[in-house]
Amino acid sequence: MSKSRAHIWFVSPALFLMFVILLLPILVAFGISFTSFSLGNSGAEFVGWKNYEQIFTRSTYEKMFGATFRYVLTVVPLTVALGLGAALLINSLTRFGDLYKTIYFLPVMSALIAMAIVWEFAFHPTIGIINSTLERGCGTFLENWGWYAQGCEKTFPLWLTNRDYAIWTVSFIGVWQGFGFNMVLYLAGLTGIPKELYAAAEMDGAKSGWERFRLITWPMLGPTTVFVVTISFIRSFQVFDMVEAFYPQGGGPSKSVYVMMFAIYEKGIQQNLMGVGAAITVVFLLFVMFLTVMQRWLVERRTHYV
Amino acid sequence: MSDQQPTFRFSTSATIKHAVLILGALIVLLPFYVMVSYSLKSPAEIMQNTGGFFGAQIPFRDDYCVKLGNAIADCMVTPWIYNYTTAFEKAPLVRYLLNGVIVTVSIFFIQVIIALPCAYALAKLKFWGRETVFALVLFCLLIPVHAIALPLYIMLAKLGLTNTYAALIVPWTISVFGIFLMRQFFMTVPDDLIDAARMDGMGEYSIIWNVMLPTAIPALMAFAIFSVVAHWNDYFWPRIVITGNRELFTPPLGLREFKGDADGDNFGPMMATAVIIVTPLLAAFALAQRRFIEGITLSGMK
Amino acid sequence: MSNIRLNTITKKFGTTDVLKGVDLDIDDKEFVTLVGPSGCGKSTLLRILAGLEQPDEGQVIIDGKNVTSMRPADRNLSMVFQSYALYPHLTIRQNMMTPLKLRDLSTSQRLPLIGPFLARKEYKELFSQVDRTAKILKITELLDRKPGQLSGGQRQRAALGRAMVRNPLAFLMDEPLSNLDAALRVHMRAELTQLHQRLGATFVYVTHDQAEALTMSDRMAVMMHGKILQYGSPEDIYQNPANVEVAKFIGSPAINILSASVNDYAQICIQNLILDLFAPTQEPNITIGARPEHLTFCDDNPTALTGFVQHIENLGADLYYHVKIKDEQRPLIVRSAAGNGKRHQIDDLVHVKFDLNSTLAFAADGTRLQTHRKLMDELAS
Repeated sequence: MSKSRAHIWFVSPALFLMFVILLLPILVAFGISFTSFSLGNSGAEFVGWKNYEQIFTRSTYEKMFGATFRYVLTVVPLTVALGLGAALLINSLTRFGDLYKTIYFLPVMSALIAMAIVWEFAFHPTIGIINSTLERGCGTFLENWGWYAQGCEKTFPLWLTNRDYAIWTVSFIGVWQGFGFNMVLYLAGLTGIPKELYAAAEMDGAKSGWERFRLITWPMLGPTTVFVVTISFIRSFQVFDMVEAFYPQGGGPSKSVYVMMFAIYEKGIQQNLMGVGAAITVVFLLFVMFLTVMQRWLVERRTHYV
Repeated sequence: MSDQQPTFRFSTSATIKHAVLILGALIVLLPFYVMVSYSLKSPAEIMQNTGGFFGAQIPFRDDYCVKLGNAIADCMVTPWIYNYTTAFEKAPLVRYLLNGVIVTVSIFFIQVIIALPCAYALAKLKFWGRETVFALVLFCLLIPVHAIALPLYIMLAKLGLTNTYAALIVPWTISVFGIFLMRQFFMTVPDDLIDAARMDGMGEYSIIWNVMLPTAIPALMAFAIFSVVAHWNDYFWPRIVITGNRELFTPPLGLREFKGDADGDNFGPMMATAVIIVTPLLAAFALAQRRFIEGITLSGMK
Repeated sequence: MSNIRLNTITKKFGTTDVLKGVDLDIDDKEFVTLVGPSGCGKSTLLRILAGLEQPDEGQVIIDGKNVTSMRPADRNLSMVFQSYALYPHLTIRQNMMTPLKLRDLSTSQRLPLIGPFLARKEYKELFSQVDRTAKILKITELLDRKPGQLSGGQRQRAALGRAMVRNPLAFLMDEPLSNLDAALRVHMRAELTQLHQRLGATFVYVTHDQAEALTMSDRMAVMMHGKILQYGSPEDIYQNPANVEVAKFIGSPAINILSASVNDYAQICIQNLILDLFAPTQEPNITIGARPEHLTFCDDNPTALTGFVQHIENLGADLYYHVKIKDEQRPLIVRSAAGNGKRHQIDDLVHVKFDLNSTLAFAADGTRLQTHRKLMDELAS
């Protein structure tokens, strides 16, 4: 239908919104990141690379990168591994698979802010279910473990307010929330593997489950894994809800949970330092885009066999 | 011959697998247990960690009620009733829920109205520049909207749109993911079907709504799930653009507000609020579990 | 009176010429088949006729009216698609109603719920039209099912029903039988032919299957590389192919093609065999074509080719012998009725004779050469 003009009406609203809502803000962020702009103040000065300089020199931002990477590098491998593990286990069962699937998927559906508040209760040092459960284990064989004995003697850790534990506790909640999603993606990937392949592998002498996993499951899940890893990275880079719920000010004990999204929020919205906020945004975007481009590249290069 | 009946066969490996999965399930369910349990218990039970799952449900004295000058006998309340009624009375929770519905539903409908025609054009119409538009869609797929929240906020602030429904909805009206997903789905619809519709006398616009839309229901469901889950649960964006005006709070903001001024007495009601906010999606999930997982799967397969 | 004319239609997709100036005349009530290998442009030609594709040049004329720039819906043609293209979310009845509703009802009458209420009479009429068509096609009991619940053959009928229900000027069919299994396909051929006679409508039918074209059409157009090579009745095309490509495409098993030469007396020679057949050409190298039924076994004689039986295809009524001739790449295929004389075995030495009245000759460029049983000089005198 070369004469039809219909496509213009179909495409232009989407194009317009893409430009205004997605592309323009990137330019705006880029522009503002070189200024000392703040909302309400009319004059914004051009400050060159100063904002970026701050990000890469000040200790606050060093902590920001530290917290972000600690979180991301904990959550991504664990959610991927647990997602894959759960998917493999569930896939190999004949019964109750649907039940486990449903249970593991519940956290994905739940508002993270609500669940974060619940976790805060669970981790509460005095009334929390976690420490009270741990206390019940005192006096048993568990005390042979040094860490446990120490906990019994004094107190068990203040999970969310102790500088040494906070980021790991937050990461734990991140894993809790995210691995069900990866599990579902892996389950979908597993259904795509033809059953005959396993039969063939068995005929060829791959006797143990591990051998079959190495020979078939893992390589056949290649594309799924690339996708799962990328989406886990992007999701975990965006962690915010928990941090804001636990530490409305300042990003946790000695800024140990000061993740990037929270930094953008704090600088830009709370302190109205739009220039710095925009600079963090730009750095953040670069990370995310780098990851996605890496994914595309990997998919095209390595995983052609499906 | 009983060991040949697979249903009753005892298998060590299956038992170990179940043990591992059950342990995982317990950890996953822990916060849900805490949430529901606390929403049923009295403040004293919460503070002392007693009462089991349901609490003893012994009526206790509502101090606030007494303060208002009521007789003590009138102020005795059953814990779970107190928690849930307080959740609705202390804050305009109904209003928050309504806002949540308004925002998620509007976002979804606008996304569909914008994305569907574009996806159709990209999948089935030949026109100059189609490849470019599609490349642009692929590029925009890389941009997480949360990441560009700050410039978006500035733009909305300059337009004077913060603290409006528009601020909650507008940034989400374009879903490149939706365009991409629907385009991929439309590619699988046979050209013959569209040609048949043209022969039958349908215009392009009516083809979208009368032919493509009904055939795309599974993909659309998948997209609906994604969209609704994401925006019902979204906390970050409302937190930024809604400042102070409680009339516009979405459920997550309402809950957060509750937390801000929660003292010991209010843990129960707060957990009740959390239950109320989390339940709609979980209930929908329970009802259409298969569809949900299918949907996620379908959307995951880019 | 519907008379369809396609005038010098050309069409390019990108840089490839799909149609290179195609002319076609279709008479009223005629069953015309466009047949050719895949990629020959036959479907594109049909889609241009339907209005689903715009030609780069040329006109589409229906009943003397130039409809080249008219939208498909306004041409009053109906089409049956290869994949049937039934709306999967609608029942068969609704599928068949769709073209009627879009054509005969106003926008307000088409509204869901209110529409049928407003225009009860019109809807009744449409329903009875659907019922009538369904009865003809014997699909009445399928009307309330959805396409997904039907078998391939049933879907095929439903698609026909949707096309028939509105009395179009012509039916266009794009490989409608190719998704059916072999037995059903043969059955549907007969049924479509009968339907054509019963409806007395114009059919334009696209297929890659030469058997369908031969059995069903009044006239068939053999297309290759964006051109119509020959347009005529099936008998004519089978017996008198205009060139070697047509000859090779039509007929199954395919015609035997042998390289040959013409000697100074214009006699056709195969290897060292001189046939009693003359071709008026200056070119020394030609090819000849002989269909399997135009070859017979004989005793050793100077006008017969000699070879070995390489393979035997037994089709019950007929046997096809593959005979390996020395210096020929492809074996000759010879048909022989099963009850006919002596059966040869594999590796038997056999002699094959040409039916010279039916043997075709082609020039080196593939065009057909007229052959004569007598020398030109003798004819002239």
